[in-house]
Amino acid sequence: MIAAVITTFLTASVEWVEAYTIILAVALSIGWRRALGAAATALAVLALLTGIGSFVLTRIGDFAILQFIVGVFLTLFGVRWLGKAVARGAGLKKLHDEDAEFVALRASKEIHEARAAWLIAFNGMLLEGLEVWLIVVALGVQTHHTLAAAGAAILALAVVATAGALARKPLSRVPENTIKFVVGAGILSFGTFWVLESLGYHWLLGDVTLLALFGFYGLGGLALVRLYTPKTATAKVI
Amino acid sequence: MQGFIKTLFGDKNTLVVVAGAILAAVLVLHSPLPVLAGALLPLCLLAGAAYLARH
Repeated sequence: MIAAVITTFLTASVEWVEAYTIILAVALSIGWRRALGAAATALAVLALLTGIGSFVLTRIGDFAILQFIVGVFLTLFGVRWLGKAVARGAGLKKLHDEDAEFVALRASKEIHEARAAWLIAFNGMLLEGLEVWLIVVALGVQTHHTLAAAGAAILALAVVATAGALARKPLSRVPENTIKFVVGAGILSFGTFWVLESLGYHWLLGDVTLLALFGFYGLGGLALVRLYTPKTATAKVI
Repeated sequence: MQGFIKTLFGDKNTLVVVAGAILAAVLVLHSPLPVLAGALLPLCLLAGAAYLARH
C-alpha cells in the first residue's frame, strides 16, 4: 500500500504543478475566483470519474481479468512516462519548462476573454487530472486502497496549492523530469507484475519482485539516458 | 474526449510497444520455458521505452 500511495502522490504532484501554471495564467486574466471555480469544477468531474471508475472495476468478478486490465493500463502509462523522461533526460526532447508554458499561455489571445479563459483553466485541470485519476483508480482498486490513493492525490494538491500560494509564480523549480522518471519506472513495475501474474505467471520472489523490477527499470532507464545523450551534452534526468 | 482516450491508451506507438511485449510474454508462457516470461516482459518493455524515447 505504501508504494501505491507514494507513487500516486508523486504522479499527482507533477500533474498538479502543470495544472497550477495554467490556473495561475488564467487567474491573472479573469481573477482568482473564476479561475479557482473552473479548477474546482474540473476536480468535481474527476471525483465523479473516480467513483464511476472504481465502481465499474470492482464489479468485475474475475480477479485475474481485473488484474490484467489494471496491469495493461499501468503498463501503457508507465512505459510512456519512462520513455518521455529518458528522451528529456538525454536531451532528445526539451525539458518541460513551466516558465515558458506560463509565458506562452499569457501571450495567447483566448486567455484574455473570460469564457475562453475559464475553459482553458477547466480543460487544463481536467486533462492534467485525468492521469492522476487513472493512477488513483488503477492502483486503488488493485490494492484495495482507493481512499488512501485518493488521499495521496488530494495531499499532493494541497502541497502544490500551498507552494503556489506562497510563490505566486510557476513552480518551475520542481524537478518534474526526475519525478516522471521515478514514477514511470514505478508504475511500469506495478504494470509488469500484475500483467504477468494475471496470465498465470508465478513470481519467484513474490511482492519483493516489485523492488527488483523498479531497480531494473530505473537502472535500465539511466543506461538509456547515457546511451542517448550526445557526447557533447550532459544527462539531466537525475 | 480525445484527452481522455490518450490518457488511457497513449498513442499508436505506445499501444504497439505494450501489445507486442505482452504478446511475446504470452508466447513464452506457453512455451517449454515459461519461467523466462518474467525476464522477457521487462526486457521488451524497457526496449519499448527506448523506442518511444526515440520516436
